[in-house]
Amino acid sequence: MLNRVGDLGRSGLEWVRELGRAGLLLYRMLFCIPNIRKHGLQLISQQVFAEGVLSLSIIVVSGLFIGMVLALQGHHTLAKFGASMELGPLVALSVLRELGPVVTAILFAGRAGTALAAEIGLMQATAQISSMEMMAVDPVRRILAPRLWGGFISLPLLTLIFNVTAIYGAWLVGVQWLGFDSGTFWSNMQSSVDFHADVVNGIIKSIVFGFVVTMIAVYQGYFARPTSAGIANATTRTIVYSSLAVLGLDFVLTAMMIGGW
Amino acid sequence: MTDLIKINALYFNRGDRAIFSDVALNVPKGSIVAIMGPSGTGKTTLLQLIGGQLRPDRGEILVAGECVHTLNRSALYRLRRKIGMLFQSGGLFTHLTVFENVAFPLREHTQLSESMIRSIVLLKLQMVGLRGARDLMPAELSGGMSRRVALARAIALDPELVMYDEPFSGQDPISMGVLVRLIRTLNDALGLTTVIVSHDVPETLSIADYVYVLSGGKIEGQGTPDALMHNPPAGVNQFLQGLPDGPVPFDYPAVDILKDLTGEEAGHYA
Repeated sequence: MLNRVGDLGRSGLEWVRELGRAGLLLYRMLFCIPNIRKHGLQLISQQVFAEGVLSLSIIVVSGLFIGMVLALQGHHTLAKFGASMELGPLVALSVLRELGPVVTAILFAGRAGTALAAEIGLMQATAQISSMEMMAVDPVRRILAPRLWGGFISLPLLTLIFNVTAIYGAWLVGVQWLGFDSGTFWSNMQSSVDFHADVVNGIIKSIVFGFVVTMIAVYQGYFARPTSAGIANATTRTIVYSSLAVLGLDFVLTAMMIGGW
Repeated sequence: MTDLIKINALYFNRGDRAIFSDVALNVPKGSIVAIMGPSGTGKTTLLQLIGGQLRPDRGEILVAGECVHTLNRSALYRLRRKIGMLFQSGGLFTHLTVFENVAFPLREHTQLSESMIRSIVLLKLQMVGLRGARDLMPAELSGGMSRRVALARAIALDPELVMYDEPFSGQDPISMGVLVRLIRTLNDALGLTTVIVSHDVPETLSIADYVYVLSGGKIEGQGTPDALMHNPPAGVNQFLQGLPDGPVPFDYPAVDILKDLTGEEAGHYA
């Protein structure tokens, strides 16, 4: 019994220590912004390319299919109540408020987050980060901070692209395949969607998710054990922790937004 | 001769395990000093302490007159510009070419023009015999070539001190011979001070001016290579002669084999 209490205490202390370590790393990343005078915006734009542009294909394809499925399911359900003309608002509100930010963040964690964790972990394991430190170059400023800012910028943009593609997918199924009137589809959507409550709030969520997912990936990579098992663990934890954090934060943010902050 | 590195009464622990207990050593300017010892004695840890990547529990480490572990981050980074370090794995940036790897510290720390950077990088690569490999990626290099590129990068900023972590391990005889010659030549030609951490006895002793042998967290022996080879202290002889048994036992501590085989001690491991 006492051993169990001891184990519980040890794991609690370990958790608090990790939290403190993550806090200190975050503090350094926020205040050691990349050296813009020397590198311009090159370091950040490289990361926007690596994390954002290279994630485009998975985001576009997923967005398209999710929009299409949503239209099919929506039509099937709404038709039972004779409310098929509400298909446009149903798709737009689901995508802009919830599916867009959440699914994009989870896909981003799987595509870019795991790549970040593995890349940084491998740099640790092969002494690239140590050699950078010994060359008097701060790895937090040179390696980690640009990646954090890259994710922070990329995810909201990817979310916008996901939203547009998903709505287009729904239009393809609803209007082109099932034969809804295109004008009704768009005008109902336009009259139901509020720019601030739906579009802006969705983007605010994606900004928070971008920050959290990239932070988790960078932290897991930087503190990964320098072994193959350690790097595998870091990538697994990145996707698991990111997904849970996104889903949990989504609830908190939605509660705050519905409650009018 | 003045000392570039002075270590006094160094104590360092990892968890409950003492890595160093009251270690003291000096590295005179312009010399090649070797730190040798069996695997796991903390040789690489000592380099990390000198470079300020770790902090000692007690004691003092002075590099170029500055106490490394009391410096703040910017002062430490200023000091590190005077230090080049060659890691055991090379530590080359895998996404950059050989040329860009060597140019990296120049781009980070100087305002030199592109043509000047090109000239310096080509000269450094020429010193290690790899000017022709400038466009290769690290994955295309052999182990020996990787270390030579890492060496060119370590001396790119013309440091005062170069530290080598196991430069010879895993090298074929040709690469080893090349590295031995390079370390000595660069030290003399550029007026460097060199610290080599290694357990390759003949290669290291052939170029070192002074040798410290670490074992069990202490300095077991020290002296010039000749003195150590001809009159080795008791605790050092096993290591220098490569004997299988001695102060460092061949067998990992275990219960008596008879008891182990008959199962009398099974309770210990059940």
